[in-house]
This record gives sequence, C-alpha cells and structure tokens, in this order.
Amino acid sequence: MQREGFNRTSVILHWLLAVSIFFLFISSWWMMGLPLPSEELQFRPFPFQLHKNIGLTLVVLLLVLLYMRFKYRPAPPAQSDMKPWMHNLAILAHIAIYLLIFAVCITGYLSSAHTRWDTVVWWAVELPRIAAPNEEMNEFWGELHTYTAWALLAFIAVHVSGAIYHSFRNDGIVRRMMRW
Amino acid sequence: MESDGQNKKYVPNWASILGVVAIMLGVFLTGLHGTEAMKQSVIATHMPAEGQPMPEADCPEGELAEEGITVAECEFLVDRVEGFAMAMPDGFAGNFMWLAVIGTILAFASVVIGGALVNYTSWASSAAIAVFAGLALVDILQFMMVVGTGPVVREMYLWNILLWLIIHSMLLVGALAGRHTEAEKSQ
Repeated sequence: MQREGFNRTSVILHWLLAVSIFFLFISSWWMMGLPLPSEELQFRPFPFQLHKNIGLTLVVLLLVLLYMRFKYRPAPPAQSDMKPWMHNLAILAHIAIYLLIFAVCITGYLSSAHTRWDTVVWWAVELPRIAAPNEEMNEFWGELHTYTAWALLAFIAVHVSGAIYHSFRNDGIVRRMMRW
Repeated sequence: MESDGQNKKYVPNWASILGVVAIMLGVFLTGLHGTEAMKQSVIATHMPAEGQPMPEADCPEGELAEEGITVAECEFLVDRVEGFAMAMPDGFAGNFMWLAVIGTILAFASVVIGGALVNYTSWASSAAIAVFAGLALVDILQFMMVVGTGPVVREMYLWNILLWLIIHSMLLVGALAGRHTEAEKSQ
C-alpha cells in the first residue's frame, strides 16, 4: 500500500533544500556588497566559499530527493478537489524548480571555475580546475547564474502560493510534505 | 472544514494556517539570521587591528566590469564596511552574532513546529508557543541592543527587528488563542 504522504527522508531533504536556498539568496545579496578582495581585504573568501559549498551540496541533496521521490511515490491525494489547471501548474512548478536548482548550481560553478579562485568543497576537497581564468566566460556564466536564480525565485513564489492556498483550505495536501 | 480530507484526522483550521505561515516565515528567517551571524563574524574577523588604518580599496578594471561597478562604488564598498564597523559599540558584534545564531536555531525550529501544527500533534501548540516566544525574545533583545547604538546601526536594523517582533507577537498570540479554543472545546 502506498503511503499517504512523502517519506521522512524526502520531507527532511525538502526543508533542508528550502532553508539552504533562501540562505543562499539572502547571503548572496549581502556578500556582493563586500569590498573586492585584495591581500589585505579578505572579507569575501569565506562567504563566497560557503556559498559554493552549499550550492554544490544542494546538487547532491536534490539528486537524493529525486531518487527518494521516484522510489517511494506517495498515493495521490484521496479527496483532492484541485482543478486541472491547478494540478498542471503544480506539476510545472515542481519540474521547473528542480531544473532551475540544477541550472543555478551548475552555472554558478561554471562562473566560479572561470575565475582565479579555486573551489575547495567544505574547505576539504579541492576540485580540479576545469578551465583557465577567463573574464568573458566568468561574466557569461555569472549572468546566467543570476537570471536562473531569479527564475527559480519566481517558481518558488508560485509553489509557496499553492502551499498557502491549500493550508487555508485545510485539504490535507500540504500535510503530505510535513510528515515528521 | 476542519478535518483532513485525506486521512480524516482532526486538524483545526487555525493550526493548518498558523503552521504553514510559521514554516514559510521560519525558512525565510533562518536565512536572514544565518546571514546576520555570518555578517558579524566575517566583519569582526577581517577588520584591521585597533589603531590600524583600513586598507585601501583594490579596484582592478577587470573586476569592476565583472561586478558592474565604478571605481567610486568599489571604494565605497570599503568605506561602508569601515563605517559599519565604526558605528558598532564595543561588544556589539559578538553579542549580536550570538543572538543571530540563537535566532537561526529557533527559526529552523519554527519550521519543524509549523509541520507539527499542520499535523496537529499533541505537543504542537505548546511547542509553538515556546518557539514563537523565544523568537520574540530574540527580537526584543536585538531591539534593545540596537536602540542603544548610534544612527547608522539604528537605521540599518531597527525597522526590520520591529517588523519581526510584530510578526512573532502575532504568531504567539495566534498559538495561544488556538490552544485556548481547543481547551474550551474539549471541556
């Protein structure tokens, strides 16, 4: 018998992803306002490396979440009165969010890979360089990183609006992703 | 409708709504407090030692184009950090950072508590009251710290903190009212 909601691992991963994504958004706006780095001005390296660490970890967490979601599919909501367009919008938002999380993380990594800064994941594992420093490529991937991040935020807004709609209707849909 | 259409479990509307609001705000606030903790730590750690001058801004042309800023803006980034550090009284950064760390933990707890409210577990409303009260207390302590500083820090933080204090007070009152209602129903 299929369970009614998502399994606990999926629930925990979902909320870890949510908190991490919002932390990355908020902290990135702040860290871009820090002084440009020099030998004496070292405000940027820690927050930038932390940003990269969390971003790269998100890719792994998302892959695990997708695996769990496909392996342990919950039963469809028993008495959902969702209109077809709402259901389609929800599916579209989910797919877009998953794709955009990958896109944001990958474009961020590619942008960083074209700078003179190395990537040492969680200050422990140095990733091999995949490209020489190149300002044009760094800007290109950096811009894509920004645009995909804004698109992700827009789809998250749709996703959150749907969650709030269902919580006000108290129809049990939201509870599927909140089984502690 | 007060029951779950999916498994017929009784969940009052107030708990469903309060739970999701707590989760949404909790996710957002975890990011905000986490960033604040990092901000205080990074600035305190990388400022020059007392009595030492602030290093000059390094603004190579390539980096300016990449960041989309002018030389004047690049220099301002250094002045801004220096001004912020100067405006903080002694001990402010450390205490504010610890409050932000506690705030981060409580904000994440409000995500968990929100889930418990949506599922309406037996301990959800009591835990929600404790967590919302804790978050409001962090806001009050931050407010008291910031009020005692100068105009630069006050301008930067005061309204944000006041807004969160109002939000957490509302969540706290909502949880108290919900628990009171359920207690009356069960009598």
